[in-house]
Amino acid sequence: MSEILKYLTQTWNIKKLVTLLSLFVLMMTSGLPLLAQQQRFPKPEFESGYTQPVTSMPDARSDFFALFDVFVLILALSLITWLILKKRSRRGVLAVSVFSILYFGFFREGCVCSVGSLQNVTLALFQPEYSIPISALAFFVIPLVYTLFFGRTFCAGVCPLGAIQDVLLLRPVTMKTWLQKVLGLIPYIYLGLSVLYAATATDFIICRYDPFIGIYRFDATFFMFSIGAIFLLLSAFVARPYCRFFCPYGVLLNWMSRFSKHHLTITPNKCIQCRLCEDSCPLGAINKPVPVKVMEDRPSATKRFIKLSLIIPALMILSAWTLSNFHENLAKVNTKVSLANELMLFKPDAMLPSVEVEAFKSAGTPVEELYSEAAVIVEQFYIGAWILGGFLGLVFGLTLSSLSVFKYREDYTPDKGECVSCARCLKYCPVEK
Amino acid sequence: MDTKFSNKTVNLPLWRGVAIVAGVFAILICAMVIVNYLQINKVDPVNTEVINTLVERLNENPKDVQLREQIREMDLLVRKAFFTNQWEVRTGAYLLLLSIIVMIIALQVMRMGKKNLPSVDEEYSQNIITYQQNARKWVSIGGSVLILVTLFLAFVTYKDLGTRFTDAAKIAKAETVASEVKAAPEVKQETPKSVVAKKNEVEKIEEVKASEPEAKKETKTEVLEKPVETEAVASVNKYKGEYPTKAMMANFPSFRGPGGNGIGYQKNVPTEWDGASGKNIKWKVTPELHAYNSPVIWGDKLFLSGADANKKQVYCYNRNSGKLLWTADINNVAGSVASPEVTPDTGHAASSVSTDGTFIFAIFSNGDLIALDMKGKAVWSKNLGVPDNHYGHSSSLVVFEDKLIVQYDHKKSGKVMALSTKTGDEVWRTDRKVKVSWASPVVVKNGDRAEVILASDPCVASYDAQTGEELWKLDCITGEVGPSVAYANGIVFALNEYASLVAIKTGDKPEVLWEAYDYLSDVPSPVATDKYLFVVTSYGLVACYDALSGELYWEHEFDNGFYASPILVDEKIYLMDRAGTMHIFKADKVFVSVATSKLGEKSDSTPAFADGHIYIRAGKNLYCIGK
Repeated sequence: MSEILKYLTQTWNIKKLVTLLSLFVLMMTSGLPLLAQQQRFPKPEFESGYTQPVTSMPDARSDFFALFDVFVLILALSLITWLILKKRSRRGVLAVSVFSILYFGFFREGCVCSVGSLQNVTLALFQPEYSIPISALAFFVIPLVYTLFFGRTFCAGVCPLGAIQDVLLLRPVTMKTWLQKVLGLIPYIYLGLSVLYAATATDFIICRYDPFIGIYRFDATFFMFSIGAIFLLLSAFVARPYCRFFCPYGVLLNWMSRFSKHHLTITPNKCIQCRLCEDSCPLGAINKPVPVKVMEDRPSATKRFIKLSLIIPALMILSAWTLSNFHENLAKVNTKVSLANELMLFKPDAMLPSVEVEAFKSAGTPVEELYSEAAVIVEQFYIGAWILGGFLGLVFGLTLSSLSVFKYREDYTPDKGECVSCARCLKYCPVEK
Repeated sequence: MDTKFSNKTVNLPLWRGVAIVAGVFAILICAMVIVNYLQINKVDPVNTEVINTLVERLNENPKDVQLREQIREMDLLVRKAFFTNQWEVRTGAYLLLLSIIVMIIALQVMRMGKKNLPSVDEEYSQNIITYQQNARKWVSIGGSVLILVTLFLAFVTYKDLGTRFTDAAKIAKAETVASEVKAAPEVKQETPKSVVAKKNEVEKIEEVKASEPEAKKETKTEVLEKPVETEAVASVNKYKGEYPTKAMMANFPSFRGPGGNGIGYQKNVPTEWDGASGKNIKWKVTPELHAYNSPVIWGDKLFLSGADANKKQVYCYNRNSGKLLWTADINNVAGSVASPEVTPDTGHAASSVSTDGTFIFAIFSNGDLIALDMKGKAVWSKNLGVPDNHYGHSSSLVVFEDKLIVQYDHKKSGKVMALSTKTGDEVWRTDRKVKVSWASPVVVKNGDRAEVILASDPCVASYDAQTGEELWKLDCITGEVGPSVAYANGIVFALNEYASLVAIKTGDKPEVLWEAYDYLSDVPSPVATDKYLFVVTSYGLVACYDALSGELYWEHEFDNGFYASPILVDEKIYLMDRAGTMHIFKADKVFVSVATSKLGEKSDSTPAFADGHIYIRAGKNLYCIGK
């Protein structure tokens, strides 16, 4: 329990995290967080009679409203799925997008959000003391379930991060397909890192570096505002840059969507090969027909596929070993590790103590306790780095081997993994139901 | 065939205009935001040259109310300007974003209005083989670059942190155990020697003659000229004597009593008197020169000093009759210079004198230090250099065996030194990296060490009273430190206004036992017993804490503030408020007032105690309370 309290107090300034943990906070008695807010530095006194405001934590969202958010999510998902699959309406998608920007974005200030919720789930899995709020769990699971059946309709217009990029798309530039493939690997790295940091209770990096949350809340730092503005400007020319090249939750949705039975189809009937939709997708997520004449000859492709498949274990080991050597740098993001490192290097005679060192010393925690905890965390990162490295090696290996596979295709079909079901392509198809 | 494309027309010139206006607006706002941002980055609102200069001027003349107000107004202006700039950057950034969004929407509408039909290339454009080749190539290159960069960074920055942390934890644990083992006998030794025990010890002394230099008996013959640095040698210097000595305990030789620790060992101390009716006021005299220092007592003699910018004097009174025995004018001190400017609430003789029963030692605002014999004749004198202190030097003197301990922490340099009581020669000196301090040294026997404990921004530090070697130091105190420390049972208590109250478990590796922030002091010092700590604030609040845990037992607010320090005598706390009323309460877990006696004259000095008597410097007078 004390670990969770410490964790909460260390990161309480991240509003998003605090709100994500709102229900958890409710479970604690109201006195405990107040104790945790022990005054570290004395407040100045004013002769003018000014009274210091009492430090307080944001109120947790009530159970009712937390469940109401889940209800709105289900409603919005159901509506947009119906609009995409049944009504085939781009305008409907646009309307839901605007609603999501207003409700999940500006009104709910981007929280609770499915993208960040994967960290709550990870933390709950790896830190048994942590009790995940039911709304966070619902926001994680529900879009995945919908995607498993209907494709990425969540991305289409319910996710406030995707919606804001989507409505700003002005003149999409056509990216080289190989470049998309390469950049599409970044979300796997981001996913791996966010899971590692959440599992070690280090940080929720997705929330910390969310480019749009500061804009939704009107409280971005200059740096984060600049990042958000760059993404939004880029969105005018590159469709959904964050969704495609960064979003870690998008990786999970991509996997789920591949199995979706009722995914959006470009044509409501039989494709007439008119090619009108060929360049209609700003995400480049339309699979074009692959006739036999453009395929590589089968023996050489098969040979390469086998070779590349065989080196996957070697790639995993190499990648895992590499990252395991890098684990110290990964671990330094953890506040305990960085403080222990700073304390170890601190020379009282020659250096001035930093605020962190001073605060730690004044807290009176035994230094051996900090070193021991830091050593344990570094060990966790070492194991985590091996697993993360292995995962990334597998992703790169599978990507390489899949690039030797040719699938015969006659029609224009959406790439189920990449397609975000934005419905832009639908109006290009002249075929009637 | 229904193409599903809208046939509605769009007012292209209108939207083009909107796009252009929004675009130009965005460029202008962008330029303004950048300029503003650069301005903010250059300005540090809490460190402006003009205000810093004015603050320096105010430090030289702290009573200049007009200047103080001017600084406050300027400070407010600078802060307002800073936050306005910040608001401008933030608002500008959002205006910029809004204008860009408007521009994009306008461009979107224009684009929709153009009704471009989808183009279809004549030939099938995608070469899947080339795509796969390129993708494989760049995925391989990307992966390799990532591996190489990661490996490079890993090997460059590798420190084996895990092992180092584990080792560091083991070392830290071993050190803690070692210091606990070392500290344990200290506490055990001190525990039975509670205040009461010490008092009983004093009671056994049948008579201590005033002229008898008891301190000499206790004096160790070995005088170390140089601080000893190695632990092995340091252990040789175990202090086997008693401090404070029985003679010191029978008297009141320094500011805040023997060793300056706020504890008196007298008995039958009066609790009731009244200045207006003269009840229990034995005598009242007026020393020639006023000062804020406190009287000290040895035998039948009472000593105190007075000074103004031109004159410095030490007075000796018969404490039974109030008769002035002698006045020593302090002249002809070698190297003496004119008195520096001091603030009226400090004066030129804020430091109390100290005595060992053989000599009386006095220090003044210009650094003049003099030793007089019991008849007022100068034995030796020297000037320590004018203290660079914007209020005026106020650290009092204390004697340890044959050494006079002087804390001399000033702007230019900080040091603590021990001078031979007989000759004034420097026995040891230790330089200190600290800021100005107005606190006084406290000398205690802590286990097998005699320690000089000092408080000054940024640390509480302890020095071997025999050698001057720094025994331990803990950075835990900030600001203009006025209160001296309190010591009991192996624990040192230090505090200062705007900092914190810290309980330090002493030893080679001192540890903060607990900290508190509620009640802090800028002038009066705390006092401690084995069980309790009493903190007195200058605004009139007194708090009692559990000495070991820091639990607040009680707090009590009095009508007037305190500058005088509390003294623990006869299991009671004597605390003089600024209006001249003595509050006497039990040194206990609950607040129990024993008596409240009014003298009727304002007092900022700490009283001195003798069996059956209290001596109080109030206003320009010196009072003897008793029958």
